Amino acid sequence: MTDPRGSTRIFIIAACLGVAMVGLVVRLVVLHLGGVEQDRATVAKTRTFKQTLAVPRGRILDGSPTAGILALNVGVKDVWVDPAQLMASNRVSETVTRLKSLLDFDTAEITARLCKTNSRFAYIARQVPENCADVLAKLKLPGVFMNDASIRSYPQNQMLCHVLGSVNNDGVGTGGIEQLMEKFLKGSQGLIESRLDGHRREMVDRRTLEIPPKDGADVALTIDQNLQFMVEKAIDLAMEKNRSRAAFAIIERIRTGEILAMVSRPAFDPNHYRTARDQQKLNRTISYTYEPGSTFKVSVIAAALNEGIVTPGTMFDTENGRWLYQKKILRDYHSYPHLNVADILKKSSNIGAAKIAIMLGDARMSRYLRLFNIGSKMGIDLPGEEGGILAPLPKWSAISSSRIAIGQGVAVTGLQMLGVLCAIANDGMVMKPYLVKEIIAADGTVLLRRQPEVIGRPIRPDTAALMRSLLARVCEEGGTGVKARVEGFRVAGKTGTAQKVIGGHYSETDYMASFVGFLPAEKPDIGMIVVFDEPQPLHTGGAVSAPVFGEIAEQAVRYLGIMPVEGAAPVPSGPVPESNETF
Amino acid sequence: MARKNKKKGQAKFPLPIPMVMLVIALAGFSLVYVCLQSRTEKLGREIKELESARDGLRAQFVQEQCEWAKLQSPSRLDQALKAHGLVMTWPGRDQIVRVRYDGSLDPSRRFDSRPASRVARSDRIVMND
Repeated sequence: MTDPRGSTRIFIIAACLGVAMVGLVVRLVVLHLGGVEQDRATVAKTRTFKQTLAVPRGRILDGSPTAGILALNVGVKDVWVDPAQLMASNRVSETVTRLKSLLDFDTAEITARLCKTNSRFAYIARQVPENCADVLAKLKLPGVFMNDASIRSYPQNQMLCHVLGSVNNDGVGTGGIEQLMEKFLKGSQGLIESRLDGHRREMVDRRTLEIPPKDGADVALTIDQNLQFMVEKAIDLAMEKNRSRAAFAIIERIRTGEILAMVSRPAFDPNHYRTARDQQKLNRTISYTYEPGSTFKVSVIAAALNEGIVTPGTMFDTENGRWLYQKKILRDYHSYPHLNVADILKKSSNIGAAKIAIMLGDARMSRYLRLFNIGSKMGIDLPGEEGGILAPLPKWSAISSSRIAIGQGVAVTGLQMLGVLCAIANDGMVMKPYLVKEIIAADGTVLLRRQPEVIGRPIRPDTAALMRSLLARVCEEGGTGVKARVEGFRVAGKTGTAQKVIGGHYSETDYMASFVGFLPAEKPDIGMIVVFDEPQPLHTGGAVSAPVFGEIAEQAVRYLGIMPVEGAAPVPSGPVPESNETF
Repeated sequence: MARKNKKKGQAKFPLPIPMVMLVIALAGFSLVYVCLQSRTEKLGREIKELESARDGLRAQFVQEQCEWAKLQSPSRLDQALKAHGLVMTWPGRDQIVRVRYDGSLDPSRRFDSRPASRVARSDRIVMND
């Protein structure tokens, strides 16, 4: 028999459960189907997860067979503290002491930052190396956190600093290859949009957007780090020996225009570029213009030979080393009564070169110099290149050509001066110098492969061959460049000793000593310029720069596997047949 | 008098077969959904872990590359040589034996056929002196 009271109880319980269920369903419907838009937006916002994926900047590699790494991005940590959490833990002094044992910071400043309890964020140290960060993580200090970051690292430190440049705090290249190749090196960031679970962990299966990062491309240079090291070492030693203020050197592959080494001193460590002075950051090979002195005679004599105005045997009256022209006196370092063109170059006679320039004429001389790229940039792939100074023809005075012929009243960069000699070595063709050999994407695709580019041909091949033989005589007995000689090879080149302009006048004590040349003279393979700024006590190009040229060239030919030329037509040496006419 | 069979008098509750099938199907689908969901979540967690591991390895690889580049740098090699008292010099011209292949298949003609004692001079310079 049914108990009516029991049925009532069951009905009441069922009714309560039913109401509860209806309530839950209504709540669910309200939550899911709207009505509380603000709440839904807040929930969605707190659960949405957006992360940009940092992309490693591409590497810079050298041109040696091992493709040594010159620059790459390495992971570091930024250490920060939540002051409120730290204060609440009551372990401030202990934490600071432990942090101090691992990190380098100013205790007073950090303590002041940590005492700002209204703040929830304070940096303790940035760019902490991974190994140090690992030790720190194991300490589990209260309120201490770490963020991932990366820095640009230059494993070779100071080496090649002017070519590589540097990267600022935002990861943007601020000089050298880093700046010029920014668009290739930087890559593109990735992006993830996803949702978080109750523990604030990403729910990978709820990812709504995933754009993979595109790694920066690798830039391979033409520079060989081993050769670069040889040159840097030789320049550093010579700078110390000659007590010079600055120095620079470049090695270029004659046939292609590839730069194999580029050294500028003083230098800096790109790992600490913020502490470097402007003088250290200056790449003197391309951004510093100087009066080239006697090395410039090469371009004028080449022009005169190309025009057929003179021959190597044409005699000139060199006035016993003192010549009054247009009421201005021009002197020779060593006095000679007469010299032919070949010996004007060999003995570096100012008077002889000036007379050749006058014979050539202003217009033709200006045209040839422009063809040799004097007064305009060579177009090397580095920022900050200077074009030098060559006054426009209408502004030339009566003595301009006689002074420009000896490298005064004209300013060039080391790269331009080397370009003149390399053109002579390369059958008269001026090659565009370049540093970037290849750009390789992260997936191995070659984005760019440089090809040699001819930018001009100021002189004919036969004139160039003649000039090579004349320049080879400079490094023979009696020439000014005898100390540049390399055993087993014939070296061709020209010395230069230029007085510096200080306070508007030519200094009697401060000089630029240079040597620019190439080898083997018979079949040139590499060209090199070596310049020292204010060397003391020796100050001539022949005494200061030529020996360094010889020292570097001796190692370079061995390293590059350059053979002495056998069986090639020998470069004429010895006395040059003289003409009867004297100028 | 025979007893009345009460069970016979009770009306049978008709089992709604389609409804039951629907419930079973829904339950089945739910089960599959939950299984797939948990499997997906598990895979998601694994992906996340692998991503972290990959990033860690990549960072480690870069660190090693950096260290290797430092070790290989010419300046470091130079320092190491100095530390061990070694002096490296480039070979002199008379220390280089050039081997040329003249295109002949005859091995005896490929290389310098002179006796080694004549090629390797007794007065050659010691390189690491």
